[in-house]
Amino acid sequence: MVHVYNCHPFSSQQIVQVEQEPGLVCCGGGALFLVATGGCKVEAYSVVQEGCPLICRFATMGTVRNIQHSKIGDYLVTIEEKNSATYLRAYTNWRYQAEEKARVGVRLLGHLLRGASVRGGVQMEIIEIPLSERPVAVACCSVTGDLLVGCENTLVLFTLRRQNQQSLQSQSQQIVQSTWPNTQQSPSQSQGQTSSSNQTISILDFERSVILHLPILKPKQVALCGGYVAVRTELEVLVLKLDASTEPQVLEESTDTTDPQEDPTDFLVVSIHQELLGDRAKDCEIPVSIEKTGLEDRGQYSLTYVLFRRFSPDYFQGCSEDETHLHSLQLYPLFTSNQTVSVEEPACVFCFFSLPTTGYLYSLKGGVELLSAYQYPEKVLEAVLTDHLLHVITKNALQCFTVRLAAVAARIEDPYIDTTMKACPPSTLEVCALRMQLFIGLRSVCVYRRHVILLSTADAETPEETERNAQRRGLELKEHNMLTGIFLAVGIDPATTPALESLLSRPFLGRKWPLSSPKGVSATGHGWNIYVVDTVSPLTLYQEMVEYSQRYAESNPQAQSLRHLLSEAHLLLRASLLQTAEQLQDSEDYLVVSLQRDGPAERPTATQADTQELEEALRQNCAQLGDCFSRDSQKDCHLALPYYRMSGLPVTEVIARNRPLPSSPHSYGTGFLFYLKHYLLEESEQSLSREAADEVIDIFSQSEPSQLVSVCASPPMTNISPARTLRILQNLEDTAGVSVPLTITMATMMLQMGDLQQYTQLMERHAEMLLVYGFIEEPRLLVHGGVGGQHTLIRPTALTRQLAKSHPGLMVAAMVALHENNKVQLEQADRIFKELGCENCLQVDFWEAMLMASSQEAVIQELLFRLASVYIDRLTNTQSDSHPDQSYTLLKRRSLKSADDLINSCSHFGALHPWLTVLSPVHTTSYQHQEALHKLQSLLCGPSLSVDSVFPLLERLSEDTLWGFSLHLLCATRRGQYGNSIEKLLDRCPQAIIAYANHQLQDKNMVLWWQKLLPELCNRTRVSADNAILLAALKETLVVVSMETSPAEFLELIPDDGTASYFLPHLLTCSQRHLLA
Amino acid sequence: MTTKTSLLKVILLGDGGVGKSSIMNRYVTNKFDAHLFHTIGVEFLNKELEVDGHQVTLQIWDTAGQERFRSLRTPFYRGSDCCLLTFSVDDSQSFLNLGNWKKEFIYYADVKEPEKFPFVVLGNKLDVTERQVSSEEAQQWCQENGDYPYYETSAKDATNVAVAFEEAVRRVLAMDERTDHLIPTDTVKLHRKPRSAGACCS
Repeated sequence: MVHVYNCHPFSSQQIVQVEQEPGLVCCGGGALFLVATGGCKVEAYSVVQEGCPLICRFATMGTVRNIQHSKIGDYLVTIEEKNSATYLRAYTNWRYQAEEKARVGVRLLGHLLRGASVRGGVQMEIIEIPLSERPVAVACCSVTGDLLVGCENTLVLFTLRRQNQQSLQSQSQQIVQSTWPNTQQSPSQSQGQTSSSNQTISILDFERSVILHLPILKPKQVALCGGYVAVRTELEVLVLKLDASTEPQVLEESTDTTDPQEDPTDFLVVSIHQELLGDRAKDCEIPVSIEKTGLEDRGQYSLTYVLFRRFSPDYFQGCSEDETHLHSLQLYPLFTSNQTVSVEEPACVFCFFSLPTTGYLYSLKGGVELLSAYQYPEKVLEAVLTDHLLHVITKNALQCFTVRLAAVAARIEDPYIDTTMKACPPSTLEVCALRMQLFIGLRSVCVYRRHVILLSTADAETPEETERNAQRRGLELKEHNMLTGIFLAVGIDPATTPALESLLSRPFLGRKWPLSSPKGVSATGHGWNIYVVDTVSPLTLYQEMVEYSQRYAESNPQAQSLRHLLSEAHLLLRASLLQTAEQLQDSEDYLVVSLQRDGPAERPTATQADTQELEEALRQNCAQLGDCFSRDSQKDCHLALPYYRMSGLPVTEVIARNRPLPSSPHSYGTGFLFYLKHYLLEESEQSLSREAADEVIDIFSQSEPSQLVSVCASPPMTNISPARTLRILQNLEDTAGVSVPLTITMATMMLQMGDLQQYTQLMERHAEMLLVYGFIEEPRLLVHGGVGGQHTLIRPTALTRQLAKSHPGLMVAAMVALHENNKVQLEQADRIFKELGCENCLQVDFWEAMLMASSQEAVIQELLFRLASVYIDRLTNTQSDSHPDQSYTLLKRRSLKSADDLINSCSHFGALHPWLTVLSPVHTTSYQHQEALHKLQSLLCGPSLSVDSVFPLLERLSEDTLWGFSLHLLCATRRGQYGNSIEKLLDRCPQAIIAYANHQLQDKNMVLWWQKLLPELCNRTRVSADNAILLAALKETLVVVSMETSPAEFLELIPDDGTASYFLPHLLTCSQRHLLA
Repeated sequence: MTTKTSLLKVILLGDGGVGKSSIMNRYVTNKFDAHLFHTIGVEFLNKELEVDGHQVTLQIWDTAGQERFRSLRTPFYRGSDCCLLTFSVDDSQSFLNLGNWKKEFIYYADVKEPEKFPFVVLGNKLDVTERQVSSEEAQQWCQENGDYPYYETSAKDATNVAVAFEEAVRRVLAMDERTDHLIPTDTVKLHRKPRSAGACCS
């Protein structure tokens, strides 16, 4: 089904004052070009000026059979005939031919010796392009200005070259490709008479760069756009991608899609409508070979098949062969505003072609796909695609259809489309007809921007048709007579039998009559007209569509048509916004126009103000689409969210728009609830007013009570009236039963009301563990912000502040649980504690608790380091009373976990080595200091702390005190510096040496007993022989050594000056043990 | 008003400096500039006129006579309906070269029946007093080469210029008497020689 809306896309109509009947029409660069029937003259009229005045008139060298204008380079290319030979020619600088008496230069392709400046003025030039085969069709690339020529069995690609005039004169063969607009810089210059000698003028030329051989294809029409080459025969379309690169690359992703309607068996028997997309197109069995002819070495060309379609006349659909001819092949580029990579490469390329009954629009880039199939209500003669609309002509009407180009481009431009952030109607949205405007005898159509140019001939039938019909009538008559004769011969008079009469009067199967009639002289010659029909601005059309949609909205807001119309309007605006991005390119045309005439040329492009207007309209449209989807309960209702977001409406406005009318059944649409939930989840920084927040509570209490806890916890809801909400929550509890998050939410309300007693009562209804689970379920009870992403600032709720005061253990446990369940990051937790003002107490408790709970290695290392540094801080701050101001935080509250708790319950805190007790006896300092010391020692005794990382921090601690020394010794021992440690310990605290050695010198360090400790002790006792501590240590050491060594080794170890009697018992023990072994 | 006009391609050939561009300018714009630039390559101008009741668009092709421009000039000989061989009466060498110009034209224009092709010979600069080529010499050359019409012209004072072009048109139209050139043929026969049809605009 094709929607037909009776909109008014056409605003005005002008009739161009033409003297001779036009045969061919084309347009471009703000001009309309007419070739008189059979004549050899081209007339150019300005379509952008009131009254379409004549720009200039110039003669061609032969009878023009085909004419095209190239936007880039502003040249015309023609296929001409003279004396039965066919020529291909390009007309450049045609705007300088205002005076018909000016000489026209002619040169061959590639012969650039001459130049206009030699003559002192810009001169129109004709480039003769010799071809070995007869040219049949031409096309110009709207991106590069390159020229594609379709011959009998080949396609020849000519690349546009721009030769700078001055560099030409200096014989430098530098090719300037991008300076063309420069030539148009002086609008005051009039028609090539006043060119100054130093003006830079680029001269166009072409280089024959590549020939594609298509031995089995007979091109009827060609198209070229940014490397895409399309060729059409009577019933086939083939699109190729030509890449100039050293290595062949496949550009198109394969999309294995065939026409879903296509019956596979039909497909095999007769390929009625064959469609091969992407990689599959190479299976079309149409060989194409490349012949490179370019002189400049620019690597190899590679070819990829992109699209192939083949049609067959479908007699059963009432189509005859000659009615199944394809026409109107077009490749259409679209640029997007954020294109920075290459202006040469359009973001999207589309391919359009048409049968008399159906038009096909494909998107070629990023996967080939059929966007739309246009079902025409009647036989279409020609079609022209633009970025807003598709214009088609039938014999008696100009029709305009909507297009989906903007839907494709928008998705390429903005990756956020089709997310919860942004939306755009799908590219598969059904197309519709906006208008059917009646004309008489339309023959051809072309479009320049908003100007649709029509050629009509009043005698509805073209001469060929007249002749063909006459011929057909003749044949029909012959058949009729023959059949009647047969009937009469067998004795039946058809005139007496109505059934037979009707059979005979019916035309028989369509038949192809050979088209031999010449493109004849129109007998009348006065019934023709050239119309320039202006389309209204997209914004105006948009406004009309919106008005139109209001009628649907009033009658049936759920109607598909309303949504369809608003979606159409949306795409119209998007197309316009995309077009503003094309400013740069299109302004070229206008410079040309203003150069030509002093009169005011059409405003180049949408100005800043226009863009703002369009954007405002888009926001309005998004709001309306949002309304559409919000009331919906169907599968697309989630689109309400992105459309409302794009509309920029504040949430209160959206709520107001969705408020049910008093008369209607009191319910909210699924789409609206979806939007609202997302809004509340998105952690908006903006708080709702009390009224709005209460309304939100009412909405959910009515539509989705289960969401109430989540809604209440949402940051924008901070202003809700707690008493009112509490009543609603109590109702919920009565109906849905008790749940922990609900209880906590109710407690929060109590807290807001200042009723601490009720608050405590509610909080005590559940065990702490259950409360922690409640917080995991709804983290926003504790923290706001940060959930939607790390950009938003995280902060504690009022409940968190209260918990920090009244239930610090619960608060820490909850934070650990949130962290371990990935609800908050470590940095975010830090921020919470900072906000709470308890960085040095609760936060440290949190870290200690985290160490007990966490299993993430990276987090553990980070926490170990942080704790070590905290403990060191505490030790330095408590060791003297000179900094009372710094120690105040320490005195506020005891840690949740004592050193013993940690040692007993956390694997990262090791048991204190026994020698530490010898070294630093208890109760020498304050409790705080003692705890910090033990925790740090315990960390150093534990397996996890990386000593190397905390070693620099320890430098801050002096070794003067024994506890300080103990830490350094621990550290040095952990770092394996046993020898040094033994010496230091013997210096500072020899009574601890045996405890130390017993603990540390095990296994592979056992040798240190005799290699280091024994010699050390011997030396020291030698110096102070009366040192009982050292002697006792020596004795203990000898016991150990004698146990661990062989008698021979032991003998070696005994110092030479030792008293034999002292060592003998040990040697004896050693020998006996050895014998036993 | 008829919508069909014949387009006749008439090409001016002759040595550099004999006044081809001046003749063309005089005929089309009725102006004379004594200090014209040398023509580089090929240029043309259109002139509409009526000859013996036939509406004709004359496409006059001006060529560069100097030797060094030959490669730019010769590709455009094809499809000519008439050739105006031009010399200067004050330059005998330009007269002697007429035969070479004729040969060059016939070769590059690919004329299949050279004896039937309409050439017209112009002796320009009649206004100059020191003549090097006599009228008789020129007449004789025309006689011997195929009975070409000969006109002595002066682009400077407009003598005989229009007459010469009109004669060229008549010659072409006379050639085409056999085939009605005003009705174009629809089909294009690729291997047909350009001249054989003789139609001027199809």
